Amino acid sequence: MSGAREKKRAKKMRNQPASVTLPAEPGPFPGGGSRACAPPGDVRSEQQYQQQKFSNQTSGPSYRKDQYFPKGQNRGERGRGRGGWQGGRQSVSEEMPKYITVSTFAQARAAEINAMLKAVAQKSSNSLVFQTLPRHMRRRAMSHNIKRLPRRLQEIARKEAEKAVHQKKEQSKTKCRKARRRHINLVAEFNRRQKKNIWLETHIWHAKRFHMVKKWGYCLGDSPTEKSYRACYRAMTKHCLLQDLSYYCCLELTGKENELLKQLARICSIDTVSSSLGLTFEEACCLSGKFEGSLNLYRADRYPEDMLGPVTFIWKPRDGSENRQLWIWTHPALKQDMLRELKAVFQCSEPEEIYISEPITTSIQEEKQMDVVLSLGKKRKKEEDKEGEKAVPVKKIIGDGTRDPLQSYSWISQTTGVVISDRTMEILRYRLIGPLSHSVLTETLKAASLQTEMADSETELNNWWVENCKDSEKVSLHQRQSAIFELLEGISSPSEVPPGTILGLTVGDPRVNLPKKKTKAMPDFEKYQDNDKVRQLYLEGVPVDCAHSFIWDQDICKNVTENKISEQIYRGVRVGGLQEASKHSEYQRTPHTPNDFPDCQAGMQFAKELETSLLEKFKRRPPAKRANYVKLGTLSPFVCPWGQLTKNWEGRVKASGEFVHPSSPHSEHCATEGHSFCDPKAEVVKEASPETDEVEETMEITSSEGVLKTGTQDFGERDETMATSDFIVLRSEKLLMQLSAWCYPTAGKDRRVRLISRLGQKEMTEDIFLPILMSYPRALVWVNLSLLRKGNPELHAMICIPTEDDLLHLSKDKLFCGPREPKHRDIFKHKVQKLKEEKKKKKKNDNMKALESDSPSVPDKETTEEHEDLILGLWSDALPDVTSHCSRTLLGYVTRGDFSLAAGCGEALGFVSLTGLLYMLHNQPADKKGLVLLRTPASLQYRFARLNIEV
Amino acid sequence: AALSRRYVLCEVVSEDPRCRQCIEDRAVGLAVRDAIGRVHGDYGLACCSISFTVKYLNAYTGTVLLRCRKDSYRLLCSALPFVRQLESRNQRHPCFLNTLHVGGTVRTCQKFLIQYNRRQLLTLLQNCTNEEERRCVQKSLLSCSLTEEQSQSGDEEDDDGTE
Repeated sequence: MSGAREKKRAKKMRNQPASVTLPAEPGPFPGGGSRACAPPGDVRSEQQYQQQKFSNQTSGPSYRKDQYFPKGQNRGERGRGRGGWQGGRQSVSEEMPKYITVSTFAQARAAEINAMLKAVAQKSSNSLVFQTLPRHMRRRAMSHNIKRLPRRLQEIARKEAEKAVHQKKEQSKTKCRKARRRHINLVAEFNRRQKKNIWLETHIWHAKRFHMVKKWGYCLGDSPTEKSYRACYRAMTKHCLLQDLSYYCCLELTGKENELLKQLARICSIDTVSSSLGLTFEEACCLSGKFEGSLNLYRADRYPEDMLGPVTFIWKPRDGSENRQLWIWTHPALKQDMLRELKAVFQCSEPEEIYISEPITTSIQEEKQMDVVLSLGKKRKKEEDKEGEKAVPVKKIIGDGTRDPLQSYSWISQTTGVVISDRTMEILRYRLIGPLSHSVLTETLKAASLQTEMADSETELNNWWVENCKDSEKVSLHQRQSAIFELLEGISSPSEVPPGTILGLTVGDPRVNLPKKKTKAMPDFEKYQDNDKVRQLYLEGVPVDCAHSFIWDQDICKNVTENKISEQIYRGVRVGGLQEASKHSEYQRTPHTPNDFPDCQAGMQFAKELETSLLEKFKRRPPAKRANYVKLGTLSPFVCPWGQLTKNWEGRVKASGEFVHPSSPHSEHCATEGHSFCDPKAEVVKEASPETDEVEETMEITSSEGVLKTGTQDFGERDETMATSDFIVLRSEKLLMQLSAWCYPTAGKDRRVRLISRLGQKEMTEDIFLPILMSYPRALVWVNLSLLRKGNPELHAMICIPTEDDLLHLSKDKLFCGPREPKHRDIFKHKVQKLKEEKKKKKKNDNMKALESDSPSVPDKETTEEHEDLILGLWSDALPDVTSHCSRTLLGYVTRGDFSLAAGCGEALGFVSLTGLLYMLHNQPADKKGLVLLRTPASLQYRFARLNIEV
Repeated sequence: AALSRRYVLCEVVSEDPRCRQCIEDRAVGLAVRDAIGRVHGDYGLACCSISFTVKYLNAYTGTVLLRCRKDSYRLLCSALPFVRQLESRNQRHPCFLNTLHVGGTVRTCQKFLIQYNRRQLLTLLQNCTNEEERRCVQKSLLSCSLTEEQSQSGDEEDDDGTE
């Protein structure tokens, strides 16, 4: 035991009584006690008693081993602890009594009581007094207010408190609380605190309940602090989940319609223009302003490369004038790129003068948008309503009071007259997810009542509404709008309304009709109407004029929406954060921004950040506890090397035999095996095999082209592959439909043909998929995977192609979990160890040198720096061929994976190489099409999963 | 996980006051072990011997506090009545052990001991025959009141603090 520990123990045991024995005697027992009248105990006790009375030098009979006798004359008479034995004290022991006297008896007991009391009164542990209390007896502020403790403990607590006071530092307060809480000071303080990262309007509400993260220049709630994973899921599927999406950026374009459309067509995908599913800004229903549209933007004239990112957009309904307004909503991570591109396309360079002064002068447009997204039907309904009535005459900071007023955020084009302005943080946006979101909306929001006269308390802020109410045309519009809004009460599910519907509405202050108690919003089936109106709503959506909102013409003061949320909570809504958002998109199986857009700038940035954070986390673990990814055969556990993956697949195809040669023996093999359990399938494969010769020829052509294309490019380092986006993500709907049809497994040939013909797709033959291969040599495809049996996919899990044997094993044994990857050898271990030793030596030498001469040598430093990059368990060289590193051929990576509560099994989303996918589908037997293997980075076990492509 | 233990508080009762000489760690421990060995055999002895120790004893009052594992405290308790003598320094004194209390912590045993001793003193006070005895017992009873003890312990702490 170390000295410190002994000391600690001594301190703890200081009040504990030590054993009391009679003084030892050296000789044998003497004859009968002659001095029975004065037994040693008596003397001792009396002595003790007197001592206690007159001096506090010793305390009771609790003899500590190290206790020293204060008085010499006591020695003989005193009974002592184990350590107290001393020779030459025969006089006492000889006088053993034959009988007991009352006083001795009593005093001995009294002394013992004293000793025990002392031991018991002292608290034994190191904790504070209130910590020793059982939980149900604890009270808030016990540590500050002694009187909250039970009386018996107050004394001890006081002593503790005195001790603590000395250690505490005096808190400095520049201003008194009253001054600090004064509204103007509070606002100033809030503004100071959001200089770096902008707060949403609901920040304070969120900050009290969420883990906040600083992302994309905002402070955003990540996930609730309470346990709510399942609760949020339940809210999504059964009730309603609310999300504050105000951080989404709004870009406003104003100009002539055809001017806008002409230029915007350049940044949309071109091959969808003609198709029926085409998504451009031009789409008829969106152009009228009835619906919200969503699409992917690309750099001007660069499709399908240089992806900018996904956006949603709203056209303002036509109001007679030439100019039209278009709002483009985008994720903040994508905003800068998008804005730059838009400015370039419209040649808007000069900042518009008028707008610069605006934030300083007054109020800005504000809208509240309800974005209702349904998890089940994957339909969207969009509602807009305005916050009109607000009787709080407070000088508000403008939406982004944090933005530099000198920085322009509006640009005008000289040639076309198009104005681009950045409306970030000026419009609020909420998303309600779930089947009851419409009932929540209708219960919370009530259409504004008409006012023709100004109330006294109201300021000019509400002027516009009063003005509106005087105009009969606008009043009738408002009435029509609220009539439609009331229809919502009757519908049973928001998915009955066409997705992306827009409804403009002016509502009253929802705080007025706040319920007293928290209630759950339920649809009111009594109000269910099955009349023509509702049917019209289902079929056509909201009439165009009703999508028009007054707010677009008005400038309205902004208000705090904090109450708004809490009042939605009163309707039984649950609020989610970023994590819930990503979970939601996972259930929807749609890519999440910006995680799942590896080909746009923001996605690359995100991947890089994720890699560094994961690496940091990895390094924080002790080396012995880290997973050795080299041994596990995981080349890049923290990042998906998409570039490398596509390049390798291209290389495989280039080495022409790769694609076809394995296929012919495999198909033979498969055919013979196939006869045993499934005949029709075998025929299909047989048909495929004779065509291989043709394929080889065509493949050679592609390969030569590939060489020409890629000849200049070297096998890059990891960083290089990350930086240069030399791959694209396939987003052409036609091709995706085709692929999706091919992925379907079919037992018999007939069914397959029928299915394919039903989908309007062609049978998978070489002459169809070879052109695809040629036109997209380096493409990724967004896929979703669901595990067949066990397994929980993780981030960066590897998607691999199962071998013939694996599939065979699976068909024989339904419970077969999956093959295992053989353990790899850590080829870097030796290197790392050598470097470590060298470093040690160098250190020694350095020390020696430092002793000899005070100049440390430069090359030593270099070597140490170099080897710090080498971490045991990570692949430290440039990546080899990622596809063929493991026993199963790599197809792609998972970007998001978890156990899905909706499906009841592990589900994953990710990208696979298009080339690899076609190769796999081509070689797989018909009833096993789309079966892949999944392996998480830290495991050797492969699991079977079914691959699907959803368009 | 913390090991569960049991603390057995017992009293050495002997007719011969000289027996008090024998009340010491080793003697008591040996006597108890011997008794367990006789009653429960080698296995029982081995069971009880794990973490068996004499935590506290007081020769003047005859109090003994024994510790053993929770699993085997029944063995120990059942063997205690079979302790018939204490032996130390070539002297042998007949006596027996009277179990007072079985507790989970030393602290509870101490608390029980306080109560027990108080009760003893009170009965003593009631049975006093002459005035001097009564005075004597009263004095000792007063000497062990809680308030005095507390203030004293506080002083003690201060003394230690300055050291």
